Amino acid sequence: MMRDPRILLGMVLAPLIIFPLMGFILRTSTEAMQESLRTVPIAIADFDHGAAAKNLTDFLKSMPNVKVEVIEAQTIDEIAAAAQASNVTSVVIIPKGFSSNITEGERAELKVYGVFRSGGIGESLTFSAAQSLVELFKQKLINETVQTRFPDNPNVLDPLAISQDSIIKGKPVNVNPSALFSFTQAQSFGLPLALFMLIILAMQLASTSVATEKEEKTLETLMSLPLSRFTLLIGKLAGSTLVAAIGAVATIFGVIYYMGSFAFGIPTQPSVDLAAIGLAPSLLSYIILGVSVFVALLSALALAVVISVFAEDVRGAQSLLGFVYMPLLIPMFALMFTDLNTLPYGFQILLLALPFTHPMLAARATITGDYLLAVLGIGYVALFTLAILYIAARLFATEKILTAKIRLGRKKTREE
Amino acid sequence: MAYAVEATDLVKRFKEITALDGLTFKVEEGKIYGLIGPNGAGKTTTLRIVSTLILPSQGSVRVFGRDVVHEAAEVRKLITYLPEEAGAYKNLSGYEYLQFMGGFNSRNSADLKQMVENAARISGLGDRLKDRVKGYSKGMKRRLLVARALMNKPKLAILDEPTSGLDVLHAYHVREIIKQYAKEHKVTILLSSHNMLEVEQLCDQVALVNKGKIIVEGTPSELKSKHKAANLEEVFVEVAGLA
Repeated sequence: MMRDPRILLGMVLAPLIIFPLMGFILRTSTEAMQESLRTVPIAIADFDHGAAAKNLTDFLKSMPNVKVEVIEAQTIDEIAAAAQASNVTSVVIIPKGFSSNITEGERAELKVYGVFRSGGIGESLTFSAAQSLVELFKQKLINETVQTRFPDNPNVLDPLAISQDSIIKGKPVNVNPSALFSFTQAQSFGLPLALFMLIILAMQLASTSVATEKEEKTLETLMSLPLSRFTLLIGKLAGSTLVAAIGAVATIFGVIYYMGSFAFGIPTQPSVDLAAIGLAPSLLSYIILGVSVFVALLSALALAVVISVFAEDVRGAQSLLGFVYMPLLIPMFALMFTDLNTLPYGFQILLLALPFTHPMLAARATITGDYLLAVLGIGYVALFTLAILYIAARLFATEKILTAKIRLGRKKTREE
Repeated sequence: MAYAVEATDLVKRFKEITALDGLTFKVEEGKIYGLIGPNGAGKTTTLRIVSTLILPSQGSVRVFGRDVVHEAAEVRKLITYLPEEAGAYKNLSGYEYLQFMGGFNSRNSADLKQMVENAARISGLGDRLKDRVKGYSKGMKRRLLVARALMNKPKLAILDEPTSGLDVLHAYHVREIIKQYAKEHKVTILLSSHNMLEVEQLCDQVALVNKGKIIVEGTPSELKSKHKAANLEEVFVEVAGLA
């Protein structure tokens, strides 16, 4: 299989090239965008000329990386024309009466215009930055007003001191739950996605390996050799697993680089010491996860081989395999966003009946330590796998592997 | 007399179609036996049953005394099979393909090396064996596959249309290989063909097959003499009632 350039290029080299390339392009674009955000150009048109208006203008000028341009104009149309001709991305219009309203405790109006040129993300971000600055000024006004009313109360603006800790396995632990949830959420997304990709890759390889033999007319020769049909089946499964594992590792490396591009420029949170809080995966949990993934993978491969027996060629095998992807997708998406226990009972039963749910539950168990369901899942999937392997072995042992076929699409008529 | 193949009342049905309808024949050890007939006569179905690829609906076949249904694994140790439409793994070189296939029949690495050298000589492809199979012409591929079928000196070689689709030179080469190999190594050959002239040159014994039955059987010269025909084609046309 590794001699086939389609497999080498498509499954191993492509992920190692495509994902890092995507990450590089994303990183370059992000750098360019961040460069464009170094200066936020804002225009101000002051029709008020009062103290509060001057306060706002001085506030904006004092902000780092903000370039303030004052527009002297009489009408909104003149302001718009001047703004469009310059390089500002936002215009703040201070109407007459702004300062007096603030002084008298009335609600003052302020208008912020966004200048639209290309509609690119850089323009959008600088406008958002300008909006945030205006909001910041509003908050400053609120703080000043409150402090003026309550000069003897230093805590009036921040009355609550909130601390956050976690409860893990019935014990209080001095760890911020947000950091913990970030970590587990990364696992909730990352691990099901990795498992999904590995299983899909392996199934495609297994189904095409038998279908290719039919298409290339090598199957009959192979079946006439002094080789037991069961050995032939195991050979197909083992070969597909090995190549899929290599492809999955290549994909994961590529994806890690790609995902790293999203985090570029974002300050990382302090890491959580999982061992100190009893959440570090143990050797037992890794063994359980490994066995669970292995039996689920084996069931997927056996299923793919059974399906491929009914295909005449590679294209047919790929089409038939499409029907199997749904039982893979359901647990993946369901368990990415929620826990099994929170789902309706009927849906829980459906998920537990699907063999591909159990490695995802085993992955959760590496953190929670709830191994019972994971171990029961291994037993269930092992039985399922044995049943499918038995069917596959029976198909391989009979002439069905040569004669069985399911055609998708309409039959051709005599006129065709 | 020792028989390499004994087929008795073979019947094979595919849904509504009866491909074989009570076929009976015997192949003597060390001989070249040909099944000849038009397309759809049942030749390939017969060879596939003998090769243990498909099961008969009724009847039995024994290969060197072993039943092809109940002792299929033992039969496969004694035979090689060359399908009519056979392929080779196109991303391997000729040598690698022979090594891969030879590995299933060899006892050890020295045995395998001997087999591959044997196959290389049979194929006559020379240095082209170092090239990948995907670059081979149809004739070259067929020569490689014939070499694969004979490399381990099987007791019975089952060849379905061995010269199918080959030009004159390649077809001649393959026929010569088969004849020489059968004689030198006492390999029993069971082959099929719809080329009556080829079969006449190659086979010690022939059976004319039509609509799943053997309509006449004998040596080429016996059949021509009995039916006063110049060649087997005329024999076939006469006995099949097509004249």
